[in-house]
Amino acid sequence: MLKRFLSERPLRLPHLKPYVPRPSDPSIFWFNAEREDIVSDVVNRICTAHEHDRARLEMALNDAAFHEIRRLEKQRDEEARDRLGYWRSMIRRIGKMDDTEQKRVLHTIVTDMARDVAGNFDPRVYRFARRAVPRLIAGVMEPRRLTKDLMSASPEVLGRVLQVQGDIELLRRLQPEGSLVFVPTHSSNLDSIVLAQALEISGLPPVIYGAGKNLFTNPIISFFMHNLGAYRVDRRIRVGLYKDILKLYSQVMIERGYHSLFFPGGTRSRSGMIERHLKLGLLGSAVEAFSTNRVRHVNRPVWVVPTTINYALVLEAETLIKDWLTEEGQARYIIEDDEFSQIDRWIAFFRKVVGMRGACIIRFGEPIDPFGNRVDDNGQSLTPTGRVFDPGGYVERRGTPVLDTVRDCAYTRELGEVLAKRYEQDTVLMSTQVVAHVLFRDLVRSTPGMDLFTRIRLRGEISLDCDSLCRELGETRDRIRALEAKGRTRTSEVVKEDSPNDLLDRAVAFWNGYHDSTTATLEGGRVVIHDPSLLLYYQNRLVPFAEEIATPEQLPAACDIQNLGVRR
Amino acid sequence: MTLRIGVVGAGGFGRAIAQASARHGHEVVLWSRRHREVPEPIRASNQMEDLLDSELIFLAVPARHAGDAAEQLGEVIDGRHLMVHVSRGLTGPDLKTVTEMLREKTVCRRIGALAGPLVAKTLAEGRPSGAVLGTGFPEITDMVRDALGGAELRVYDTRDVVGVELASATVGFLTVVLGYAQEVGAEPSTLAVLATRGMVEISRIGQTLGAEESTFMGLAGLGDLIAAVAGDERPEFRLGQALARGAELTTAVRELGAYVEGIEVARHMIEHARRLGLQTPISSTFVAVVEGRMSSEDAIHALMERRVGKE
Repeated sequence: MLKRFLSERPLRLPHLKPYVPRPSDPSIFWFNAEREDIVSDVVNRICTAHEHDRARLEMALNDAAFHEIRRLEKQRDEEARDRLGYWRSMIRRIGKMDDTEQKRVLHTIVTDMARDVAGNFDPRVYRFARRAVPRLIAGVMEPRRLTKDLMSASPEVLGRVLQVQGDIELLRRLQPEGSLVFVPTHSSNLDSIVLAQALEISGLPPVIYGAGKNLFTNPIISFFMHNLGAYRVDRRIRVGLYKDILKLYSQVMIERGYHSLFFPGGTRSRSGMIERHLKLGLLGSAVEAFSTNRVRHVNRPVWVVPTTINYALVLEAETLIKDWLTEEGQARYIIEDDEFSQIDRWIAFFRKVVGMRGACIIRFGEPIDPFGNRVDDNGQSLTPTGRVFDPGGYVERRGTPVLDTVRDCAYTRELGEVLAKRYEQDTVLMSTQVVAHVLFRDLVRSTPGMDLFTRIRLRGEISLDCDSLCRELGETRDRIRALEAKGRTRTSEVVKEDSPNDLLDRAVAFWNGYHDSTTATLEGGRVVIHDPSLLLYYQNRLVPFAEEIATPEQLPAACDIQNLGVRR
Repeated sequence: MTLRIGVVGAGGFGRAIAQASARHGHEVVLWSRRHREVPEPIRASNQMEDLLDSELIFLAVPARHAGDAAEQLGEVIDGRHLMVHVSRGLTGPDLKTVTEMLREKTVCRRIGALAGPLVAKTLAEGRPSGAVLGTGFPEITDMVRDALGGAELRVYDTRDVVGVELASATVGFLTVVLGYAQEVGAEPSTLAVLATRGMVEISRIGQTLGAEESTFMGLAGLGDLIAAVAGDERPEFRLGQALARGAELTTAVRELGAYVEGIEVARHMIEHARRLGLQTPISSTFVAVVEGRMSSEDAIHALMERRVGKE
């Protein structure tokens, strides 16, 4: 009951005096003043697109009713009791409705959905959050300080754990001139929190983003999400109109200069691999926002910022890899019972990472225009040889800017390919991932011809000599650094600086101190592998590079590993 | 509607595209490195800048020269331009397509690949034929149909650009195989088995690179192969015949007077398949024959003795 109340009507602070944004405030501070206008803009565009074509309109209404009835029948909850009757009665009447009534019903449905999606931004909550969140996290990491005084607990500890890389200065310079669209890799539900923190410590403005409605069921997170500009995405809703609304909402926000964030991977990477196949829906909203502005002669640039979020330890690693291996990943889009929803796992996780230098590295890659081109210090698009050109030409047909959804879809597919390459280049390989790769590769070498699923059931049966493993680790690290020198990928400071022995010892200690199952143990000069599935998860980050960092003897095993990325 | 068309490369295909476009009433600039005589109203040029005003640019150079041409084009074109290439090849050991290379070296994004059983002579003379255009951009399809289409050329379109490019490049190799087989006296049924199973083999590899199987079975794949075997004087077919007569590969290619990259593409394809654990019996066997590691008799035995399964 409370869960539904919170997800339907999230808490807002009372407004005694409306906040009047100052010109120097980030764009999102203007959101509440524009909220109704944005919602009606979205509603009007969707309704206009349907109302001149009765067949399309009727199809949209039928689709909405059909999918909602199916969802609510499955849910069998309070929402189902409230709404099922409405949809059932509507689906019976659609065919008999005249044009006017069909349009009225469409308008009502779209308005309700758009209002449900639209977020809220409260500057008071924002100011509180920017002071409290780092201290809260710091407090969890160092509980002694938490008991002393929450608000005075030092956020320095967070700075030690969370590192931000990239050309922050350029992003700061660009942000007042156009819309920044951050598109990070996605490994954990912590991503949006650490990314918000990374923006904050980098002096970058807050962004709007779509948060799964499941996150709104936690009252505290719901309160912050709802009041910090997040828009709600209910992944259970399969209605075509709803998807159109989500995309258009994102597009309208980008058109109006709001900085945005979405995860093009769609969901957390279950395998731990760097995302390759990106969901293009929301990504397309950046391209279409650019086209729409150009058609309206608004010259507001849109810059896409490929961002990688790199963890040495992943909060939900065990659930995610299990999900991938059981191939439930496709169906279980929303996992509600993972480590993210267990507060004891949060505490165990934060306690563990506090001891890890640079446990999380956020890397903001070089911004690109919506067509995948690099930009200069002023944000102007560049050709491969460095000539400045106007990207407006991309949306012109015979010299005139025009809207064309099919064309923009094609641009979006290409942008997706550029991002997939940039993710590899901007991924920062962490110590635990490199160690896991070497261990897993040796496991594959020791079990030639064995399939993946038999391999991951080998618990405690494979042990490797520590000395030769460390030698291999050192050699592999050198090869990874050679790739880094060519700009193919990046490594963390720990990977660069620590000795192979230290890398191995610490990785094993980190895994075993946090994860429920023992990943590997060091026993009498040998490493015994206990949970190959966790090793698989961490090593999967190196899948695209497996062949390039292998010696000829390791190559067959490396090929096996690299093929994991092709088959899935 | 008069289009401004640019053509890069004044070889047989480039000239045919220029002639077909001019015949349809469009303004055509034909670029080539050296000055060439061209029939009116085509305008010849050796300055890339002269292509700046072109709305649609055809890149009609072999894949191995496409990189250089793209670099020069990259200096003058921008996002307004639409580009279509007709190169039947790939650009390196990693099976990179010409489209990928164009995206790297230019800012042109609206790119298409024209392939299929289209040959220069038919196109230039305006005799009935067909082709397939791989592109995600509807405006390219419209413009290519306006530029070359009409009553004499049916231009089908597909979004599977990579499929069109891979099919087109690998058909060259299968054509060499069929030329060879015919010369050593293979029966029509043997040729049919080689052609269809060869196409399945390369389409399987293509799918690992993002191509769709159906594209290999369409104009870019089987359609093109049928034209090659039916006798449209492909250099690849003649190369296969020369090899069967005992010619050495380098000598045979030199004597052919045309650049044939089918064998090179096959080698890269075999290596790619090996890494993925895919089998390439026809390609591997034929490359072994060409490299002198296997006789043609042994090759036929090796292929015929393989376990046979469902189609």
